[in-house]
Amino acid sequence: MHPFREAIRAETRRQFFSTAAKGIGGLALANLLADDVFALPQTNEAIGGLPSLPHFAPKATRCIYLHMMGGPPQQELLDYKPKMKDLFDTDLPASIRQGQRLTTMTSEQSRFPIAPSFFEFSQHGQSGAWFSELLPHTASMADDIAVIRSMHTDAINHEPAITFIQSGQQIPGFPCIGSWFAYGLGSMNEDLPTFVVMNAEKSHPRSNIQAISAKMWSSGFLSPKYSGAGLRGGDDPVLYLKDPNGVSTDVRRQMLDGLGELNRIRHEQVGDPETLARIEQYEMAFRMQTSVPEMADLSSEPDSTFERWGEEAKQAGKFQNAALMARRLVERGVRFVQIYHRGWDVHSFCPEVIPAQAADVDRAAWALIQDLKERGLFDETLVIWGGEFGRTVYSQGKLTPTDYGRDHHPRCFTIWMAGGGVKGGVVHGETDDFSYNIVKDPVHVRDLQATILHLFGVDHERFTYKHRGLDARLTGVLPARVVREILV
Amino acid sequence: MANRRPCLILGLVLTVLVSVAAQQTESPPTTESLPTVDFQRDVRPILSDNCFHCHGPDQSTRMVRLRLDTEDGAFSPRPNGVPIVAGDLEASLLYQRITHQDERRRMPPAAMTNKTLSPEQIDVLRRWIDEGAAWDQHWSFKQIEPREPPAVNDAWVRSPLDRFILARLEAEGLRPAPEADKRTLARRVALDLTGLPPDPRTLATFLSDTSDQAYDTLVDGLLDSKHWGEHRGRYWLDAARYGDTHGIHYDNYREMYPYRDWVIRAFNDNKRFDEFTVEQIAGDLLPEPTLDQLVATGFQRNNITTNEGGAIPEEYAAIYAKDRAETVGSVFLGLTVGCATCHDHKFDPIAQSEFYAMTAFFRNTTQHVMDGNLADPPPVLVVPEDDDRELWHQLRREAVDIDGQLQARAASIDPMFVEWLTQGGHRELKTPLDASAEILTLALQDPDGPAVWLEGDRRPITVEPGAVITKGPDGNPALMFDSTSWAELPSLSLDTDTPFSIAMWVYQPEDEGRFVVAGQYDQQDGSRGWAMTLSARQLTFRMTGAQAAPGRVATTLQDRDGRTNVRAQLYHSRMPTGEWTHIVVTHDGTGERGGLHIYRNGDLVEQQGSEFFAKAEGSILTDQPFYLGRGDALSRSGEPEIRHFGGGGIADVRVFDRALTVQEAKVVSSWRALQTAAAKSPEALTSDERAVLRLRYLSIEDDEYRRLVARKQDIEREWREVRRRGSITQVMQEIPDTEPAAYVLARGMYDDPLELVPAGTPAALPPMAESLPRNRLGLAKWLVDETNPLTSRVTVNRFWQQIFGAGLVTTSDDFGGQGEVPSHPELLDWLALEFRESGWDVKHFFRTLVTSATYRQAAIPTPDKLERDPENRLLSRGPQFRMDAEMVRDYALAASGLLVRTIGGPSVKPYQPEGVWLEVARDAGNTRIYEQDTGDKLYRRSLYTFWKRSAPPPSMEIFNAPTREHSTVRRMRTNTPMQALVTMNDPQFVEAARYMAQRAMREAGNDFDRRLDYMTTRLLTRDFTDLERAVAKRTYDGFVTLYRTDAHEARSLLEVGDSSFDDALPVTESAAWTMLASQLMNLDEVLNK
Repeated sequence: MHPFREAIRAETRRQFFSTAAKGIGGLALANLLADDVFALPQTNEAIGGLPSLPHFAPKATRCIYLHMMGGPPQQELLDYKPKMKDLFDTDLPASIRQGQRLTTMTSEQSRFPIAPSFFEFSQHGQSGAWFSELLPHTASMADDIAVIRSMHTDAINHEPAITFIQSGQQIPGFPCIGSWFAYGLGSMNEDLPTFVVMNAEKSHPRSNIQAISAKMWSSGFLSPKYSGAGLRGGDDPVLYLKDPNGVSTDVRRQMLDGLGELNRIRHEQVGDPETLARIEQYEMAFRMQTSVPEMADLSSEPDSTFERWGEEAKQAGKFQNAALMARRLVERGVRFVQIYHRGWDVHSFCPEVIPAQAADVDRAAWALIQDLKERGLFDETLVIWGGEFGRTVYSQGKLTPTDYGRDHHPRCFTIWMAGGGVKGGVVHGETDDFSYNIVKDPVHVRDLQATILHLFGVDHERFTYKHRGLDARLTGVLPARVVREILV
Repeated sequence: MANRRPCLILGLVLTVLVSVAAQQTESPPTTESLPTVDFQRDVRPILSDNCFHCHGPDQSTRMVRLRLDTEDGAFSPRPNGVPIVAGDLEASLLYQRITHQDERRRMPPAAMTNKTLSPEQIDVLRRWIDEGAAWDQHWSFKQIEPREPPAVNDAWVRSPLDRFILARLEAEGLRPAPEADKRTLARRVALDLTGLPPDPRTLATFLSDTSDQAYDTLVDGLLDSKHWGEHRGRYWLDAARYGDTHGIHYDNYREMYPYRDWVIRAFNDNKRFDEFTVEQIAGDLLPEPTLDQLVATGFQRNNITTNEGGAIPEEYAAIYAKDRAETVGSVFLGLTVGCATCHDHKFDPIAQSEFYAMTAFFRNTTQHVMDGNLADPPPVLVVPEDDDRELWHQLRREAVDIDGQLQARAASIDPMFVEWLTQGGHRELKTPLDASAEILTLALQDPDGPAVWLEGDRRPITVEPGAVITKGPDGNPALMFDSTSWAELPSLSLDTDTPFSIAMWVYQPEDEGRFVVAGQYDQQDGSRGWAMTLSARQLTFRMTGAQAAPGRVATTLQDRDGRTNVRAQLYHSRMPTGEWTHIVVTHDGTGERGGLHIYRNGDLVEQQGSEFFAKAEGSILTDQPFYLGRGDALSRSGEPEIRHFGGGGIADVRVFDRALTVQEAKVVSSWRALQTAAAKSPEALTSDERAVLRLRYLSIEDDEYRRLVARKQDIEREWREVRRRGSITQVMQEIPDTEPAAYVLARGMYDDPLELVPAGTPAALPPMAESLPRNRLGLAKWLVDETNPLTSRVTVNRFWQQIFGAGLVTTSDDFGGQGEVPSHPELLDWLALEFRESGWDVKHFFRTLVTSATYRQAAIPTPDKLERDPENRLLSRGPQFRMDAEMVRDYALAASGLLVRTIGGPSVKPYQPEGVWLEVARDAGNTRIYEQDTGDKLYRRSLYTFWKRSAPPPSMEIFNAPTREHSTVRRMRTNTPMQALVTMNDPQFVEAARYMAQRAMREAGNDFDRRLDYMTTRLLTRDFTDLERAVAKRTYDGFVTLYRTDAHEARSLLEVGDSSFDDALPVTESAAWTMLASQLMNLDEVLNK
């Protein structure tokens, strides 16, 4: 193999794998099926990434981050608050609220009536952790997951809060966590992007959805090549991938042959190495045109897959479908898969909307972990489930025995993590009886970010990028702590 | 990006391999052959990178009170010695500490900072001290000095700037590349000056012009092209973060394109860059600003804004001001001022308080923080069509005139008013206003049961059980509702073209949910009609018309089934719970949002709702009943449901047949008081009662006053008509009589203010002249003042970057201590001074660049140059790099002949894959569904493409166009297979290929080579070589063979795109030529400038 040519290929591939395209679907998946396009030896070495990383032996090599967009109500799902039952429609004590800021959606409410959860809870697993009746499948893996009930964040509204948990900053312009992974750790598979993003639709007609935007998978000040690659459900998974009508594979091949030849003639005249890189880009684009549809085609999955996952996993746009895709992606070595499940912003109709939202996620998350286990990937795949903040114990709008809504609540929320170095059967942190304030072991968003990086063998303080003269890092300038209590 | 300082010690060949510890004892390597250490280039970056974090400008993190960023700090004695002693390494503490044997004492402390000095860096510092430790202020803060172009004796030189380039090349032992051939040059300069390839006629003229001036003539022609302003403007719009949506949350449409068009015009008119700057920063503060100067201030309204439900205004006010200060910092000063948001700047002399002093310039604004999801969040400016401008000014003058007359009339009526009182006028009032104007009056205590008086007739009304009549506000009888009851009144014939006013008392229940207070609309017919609703104690009045708005860009006008509605909402003044509030809604008979007003307790209060200039199209007239306390709705899941007003109350409903004036609304709200006053003698009236009666007299009894009011209303209507033909744009408006000031925010937190600081500029830069006002105008003038060393340097550097691909300072957004040092410092100063002294003449400046020998070099590297000047920072050859997103697309449109060359106007929506907007959108946002345009709008230049910030046009973003969420002065440039997929498969490009192919077939005869020449002339400005021709012919023949077997396929290809293909031409050949055109359009040479 010609070393110069090889260098160009490597560069092309590197740029491509974490390509610039950011719109959902505007992405770049390379050859998703094994094919020795570049005839590189298979190794366990990451492609790209920083030579200094990882700092120490990683526990996890890939991550699936299930983001529940809008902020799930912790008190309906994982933060059991039995004492609230007796306080129905009583006012939230001022001693609990402590004058903390509220959003302008409820700050003008004249009262803050307590809305106990509508749902029953029971204990599961060796740990005896409490789970809502809405999460039967999640409950069945109580001993596989670590629940953190003491998450808290700085932001009180969606845009800044999601941007914060993704990038460590509340304003756009900073790399999100998947981009940090792509930049620092590189790809594990020469045929796939390092960081893939999918978007799953809401689960109930009354679910309140929040806008999403490219900034949530943006590489910020890192090169655009580290941005999340959007993957869409359905038969058109990648923008511009399909040849136009009237262009058969033969025609395309013919065109590319002619194009390559003309470009090579030009290169011989001018000698610009970029021209050779261009030829490779076109060839890779051509290969993607067959490999991507094959990868996105679930018909190769056996029936047993859908018995486990349910029929919804076949429907493009559903969370189950995205989660199954995530499994197929990490199986092939994708490092970071981000799924945004929309519809968790329950300002109203909580008892109606939450069961539907939870049902989609509960079974799919369970199926995902079973699949990972079967494939021997669970130990090295970190699965994270959670939103950008929690919700208030008091009702937003009218409280009735059968209906209530909940406003944003940044002071505490619950997430769970599993696999990839996370200890199962752990419940970390505690909130007060109202699920309003944290009373034990608070975990800030920065701590979560530091913990995720730690699991990948990365010291968050030493993983930096020179931006405007500063050594910028995901966790920012304030201290962050690895939550060792949940680690294996 | 990864390697920020590739040229740091360019030219220094260091062979220091010895360990740090060993170095002290061994003799230093010989320095005879090495050039003198340059403080700016070699030393300061090392200190900045490694020392300033703890020994720099930020006092909060400064260790042992040592500063190494100032001369004083670096050379003054300290208790334990002197940091740096010129020529004396032994005595220089700094040197001792960076080479200390003991790792724990060695600086910088590796354990704490993750920083270590390399042996090369230590050697630079050692030699610098040895050579006398020359100290200088950071280069970019120094005054720009006149620079003499180096004496080089070479015929190659065409411009003084070439002398700087050549001197450097000679020092490196390199020679410039030969001049590019004429065709290449024509293509390059046309792309650089207009963003478009040269049209064949221009090219032919240039090629046939053998005079010495041929190239200059070409350049002059391009600078005169109207496309010059588009192309220059396009770069500026990145810096100005221009977009067509708000950016946050709903990301709705924002009408802002007059600003974009102003930018294009400014470049085309060759507006002086200093004026260009001042008008954008402070056009509104200039004496008697013109319309254009006001439009220019949109520069600062381009930041992203929010209307997210729970957003806290104070938080976003701080964010907006920060964005504006950072943008000015980066675009004009090349400084990262935002680094001082939470603490003093780590590397540059900008204290935290100075950053907030910068933000203060932008906080003294009348702008609402919440954008209302509206296209026109105030302050906005109406930009009339050119033909309307005179009328517009006339109306403004008349309005002022009428206001004066109204005041004068009001002031003159006292004798008549007193006479009226004396005559007992106030004792005889039966209705608040003239009785004939009142078309409906609620009569709850009618002896025969609840009723209304409707145009003089008594009509009983139905009150559902559960509603009770009780004592209400001011003793008025009131209807109180429970959650199942309502009252049904006879239909009214209110319509979009009838003026009317609705007055009533409304009781806000404790429950703060969603209610329909009153309304008359047909839920089965898209809710056509009107309604008054309450939600979270915000009162809204809406009218929904029968039709969709004709041909408008998406706005919030359109509800889900395409109907138009207008809404006025008491957004900032919520109704107090458990209290009665008097509400008057007035409508002037235009169906327009601007013709709707809501008065609360007799006062006009601030409102939001739909766009001010929105209009409900079509009739709202319906035969549905007029309900109080009931409204029909659809649940979110689509089932019909009735909304009630449980716990709420209504009293004293009156409907009038005209739009009440401010005075009349006050009178109606005070009606109960006037009834009490009727019993009093004129002398016994309280001053309040007297004031209201005076308003009553003026409004009803005084014919002259009424005439003037009617005229004023006419003017307002006409004014809105003019607007409807024109456009609006967002502008800056200062709060008058307030000194701009801002609180320093602890750690940047909006809710943790420290001291208040007045607006000001950083002390490390030359001060603002005493004569300048401490507001945006002062800031603007300071930016372009001769003493300001940054603005012209930063600007010429960015211009250089546009032409040569990278600036002389590659970090074009950072001229601070952590930025790159310039590759050619003297040239940068020469250019900056040249630019300023030419009168900030942008066209002159670009002419200087593109007529230089440096620019005219061929872009052909040699292996030696690739090795020694890999990124062409030394300009050892001509510039060549992949074109920006917009140019790639515009090129295809222009070369094929599809391009529509209209300048300006509303943004357009060309081809875009389905679902790109929908995927990210929120329900009901008006940029949820991408409705692709048709016809000419598909073929406009890319800077007119509608820019939705949360989902920018994917074909642009794939080519590294920024999202425009914040200012970008330097795009990144990647090359990816996705880009190949766009230019091969996007219908825009396929259609352009087909269009070009069929034109070649029609216009170039039947000969293969002539057709090929036709295309390569347009795409490459050259003919193919024989070798290339052979390849093209072979490929073409291959296409013909493939398409001959399947005519259907050929036809499908030709059908791609909205424009129809020429079916007079043979289908198979057309398809084959289309594919060949596509192949050529994808050539590396085409995609590169």
